[in-house]
Amino acid sequence: MLAEYSSLITLVALTAILAYSFYAVLIAGQLSLAQVGLASLAAFTSALVVPSEPLFGFIPPLVIGIVFGMFVGAIAAFILGLPVIRLRGVFLAIATLAFGEMVRIFLINQSWTNGAQGLSFAKLVGPGVAWIALVVVAYWFWRLSGSRLGRAFAAIREDELAATTMGIDVPRYRMASFVIAGAVAGLYGVLLAHFSRFADPNEFSFTAAVDGLVTAVVGGVTLFVGPILGSAFLSVLPEVQRVIGIDAGWIRPTISGVLLLVVILFLPGGLSGLIPRRKSAKTLLDNPSLQPTLSPLPAAGSELVNLSSLGKSYGGVHAVQSVDLTVNAGEVLGLIGPNGAGKTTLVNMVTGLTPPTTGTGKVLGVPLSPSTKAHRLAQAGVARTFQQIKLFNRLSALENVLVGGYRITQDTLLRRLLFLPSARRLEREAVAMASAQLIRVGLGDKAANAAGDLSYGDQRRLEIARALASHPSLLVLDEPAAGMNHVEAASLSDLIRSLAADGIAVLVIEHNVRMMLATCDRIMVLNFGEVIAAGKPSDIARDPRVLEAYLGSAGSDDDVEAATVLASENLAHVLDDPTSEQQEHPTGTGTATDTTPDGTTTPEENR
Amino acid sequence: MQLFLDGIFLGSIYALFAIGFTLVFGILDRLNLAHAAVFTAGALVGIEIVTRFGVPIWLLIPIVLVVGAVIGILIERIAFRPLAGRHDAHFAGLISSIAFGAIILSLLQALYGADTRRFPADAFPSTRVEIFGATVSLLQVIILIISVSLMVVLTWLVAKSKLGRGMRTIAENPHAAAVLGLNVGRISSITFALSSALGAVAGVLFTLNVNAASLGIGHAVELKALAVIIVGGMGSLPGALVGGLILGLAEVLAVNYIGSSWRDMVAFGLLFLILILRPQGLFGARKTREV
Repeated sequence: MLAEYSSLITLVALTAILAYSFYAVLIAGQLSLAQVGLASLAAFTSALVVPSEPLFGFIPPLVIGIVFGMFVGAIAAFILGLPVIRLRGVFLAIATLAFGEMVRIFLINQSWTNGAQGLSFAKLVGPGVAWIALVVVAYWFWRLSGSRLGRAFAAIREDELAATTMGIDVPRYRMASFVIAGAVAGLYGVLLAHFSRFADPNEFSFTAAVDGLVTAVVGGVTLFVGPILGSAFLSVLPEVQRVIGIDAGWIRPTISGVLLLVVILFLPGGLSGLIPRRKSAKTLLDNPSLQPTLSPLPAAGSELVNLSSLGKSYGGVHAVQSVDLTVNAGEVLGLIGPNGAGKTTLVNMVTGLTPPTTGTGKVLGVPLSPSTKAHRLAQAGVARTFQQIKLFNRLSALENVLVGGYRITQDTLLRRLLFLPSARRLEREAVAMASAQLIRVGLGDKAANAAGDLSYGDQRRLEIARALASHPSLLVLDEPAAGMNHVEAASLSDLIRSLAADGIAVLVIEHNVRMMLATCDRIMVLNFGEVIAAGKPSDIARDPRVLEAYLGSAGSDDDVEAATVLASENLAHVLDDPTSEQQEHPTGTGTATDTTPDGTTTPEENR
Repeated sequence: MQLFLDGIFLGSIYALFAIGFTLVFGILDRLNLAHAAVFTAGALVGIEIVTRFGVPIWLLIPIVLVVGAVIGILIERIAFRPLAGRHDAHFAGLISSIAFGAIILSLLQALYGADTRRFPADAFPSTRVEIFGATVSLLQVIILIISVSLMVVLTWLVAKSKLGRGMRTIAENPHAAAVLGLNVGRISSITFALSSALGAVAGVLFTLNVNAASLGIGHAVELKALAVIIVGGMGSLPGALVGGLILGLAEVLAVNYIGSSWRDMVAFGLLFLILILRPQGLFGARKTREV
């Protein structure tokens, strides 16, 4: 009975290993079809080194082949990755597919591979060896999934830009997933060749690559057992059909095709999506004593940001023109101005997402230049939120914040592989830190919800919690109150003040002028990319240029003057007693002063 | 000269197949991997029709166009539309179209068996003519005329007609297109129908050229079509035409000067180089990253 199925059992394991090779890139959001090409390179080169007798009398030949094959797979993946890693999506898939086909054609035309006739290998792999190898690989991916490296991969898969601003070096991690996948592919190639005792390069074709991809996707990438489930399903299916007596040549592929279609259409997470996910990264750990010891923030008042005539132009459009700006630890600096004034461009330059075209700048000791990488600034202690929310939508709220803690945590993969107690301690520290941030922004009860399912205001708060989890020295908030009602905005204002009191420098863009006047220590006003005013909130509220920029100069002079006087009185009143104002007039924050009047043009959008 | 003409004939078929491929990608941002199965279906159904009814070539092409269009609509309805709005629609669409392609192929196997099939010996005229010292068959000239005129009609349709304007609007932003009152579902169906109609005709023409069709012919052409649309630029119709001709010529020259065993290396080497040096292809527009 067992002997009858021994080859099927082995193939299930080997196919699962191939699927893990696809899984390794899919979890980082990449689609590579080079895997079988890498596998064939490893298989055929291993034929050159695998000895017929144990090395030094005790190292089995297969071990040498495996080590060598994984090494070849990893190196080849690295070399392939150098040029193709910057490609995305379908383009990456096609480039890697081309690579795989080129490897196949190259190997067919070599004499040492025996060309299309194929090469014989020693029979060294049976069910036992194959399943041991599979268990090792699956164990590795199991321990990867909860580690910092695993979280970084998930973050890259969900949103590369947001991952970068968490301090994650995206190209490096994408390359890492590529190399891991290459090593697993190499393992598969060597095992397969030494199982089937014969290999010719044409077996490692496009069709084989597609089969591997299908196995990985059918199994699903949300859980580490996905590839095993996919392999079992797709390998056993034809066998079951044979046993129940379906024999016509065309019925089996038809049934397989229909089932594949059903799985992909109706099981979005693949087969592993049917398994309920583990709970660990969903529950809060509300215990301040567990939090990691953090390095102290810069002393209050020390200069963190210094921009000197910084500017950015796109062709002839000057989005930002020669801005001078300093931000000190412990202060809240507001940035206001009509839509299209260049506010977001300015903070994109400060956070390293947009390189400046003129001027110089230094943020937390990192100079701003075209070669400055955003993740370097994030590692130096800059954290930010986005005007258009960029959360990792399919991860839970708590997992989002855990990714935010990337900067202040250590990688736990090796410790997790060895089940060291320190792995558990570090994980509890990270969860405690993340929990504290969630509770601080008022999302303690929504830790387990997927970020994409939260309400708009909650998503804004979650972004702030994620940014805070990196223990930043400089926090940049791009329109944090958008979509919040006045009560939420008031508590956001309190939160921002308390962060500044902790010693964090906060740079905030917001259209809610009322809230800004009450929250900021200093305000800078941008219009048409230029600073038109800067200073204390009370001065800004009375500055005629600011009022004109906000209210426009169209219409009769009398109207403008009347409106200006009214507005400045209103704002001055807010300054006198912000809290009572907000409570007395519940609708107050949503009216006249907080949005750009329709009369003013929005310069950049119109150009 | 003979090489040049052979390259053009081969290239025009690649281009016809690739143009359907790239049409769906350019407008709906989906890679339809069932396209190869449509190609095979076009070839085998074409042979069946000629063998059974002895229809002439001018009648065969419209019939195959209709068959392809019907398959295209089925692909859209069954393999792609249910995925609309899924975050992983890209991956899932690849896999579901692979599955649908596999189903098409297994049904073809049920109908026609797994053996290589040919057109009846005297089904088409075998006149040969000499042009610039090179021998070409009348059939090859017909193939060239059909594929080029279909491509011209399609390009005109997308560039000028109301339908084409709708397609291009959807390519820009499907959500906004729906808000503006365009029937996105219907236009998607039509796009798939056009794409598959051309794919099926490409299958017939390819088979006419080599006079042999088996279940596997789609795969080889599919890989080359991927090369063609990358070289020409993803989503670019003129790019697919030029890319197809370049590939056809390059292959014929490679076989002649390097050796047939390295022929396929040319396509993938070209593809790889273009992706590294100019990922948007010869005619594609560079897509900028949103911040």
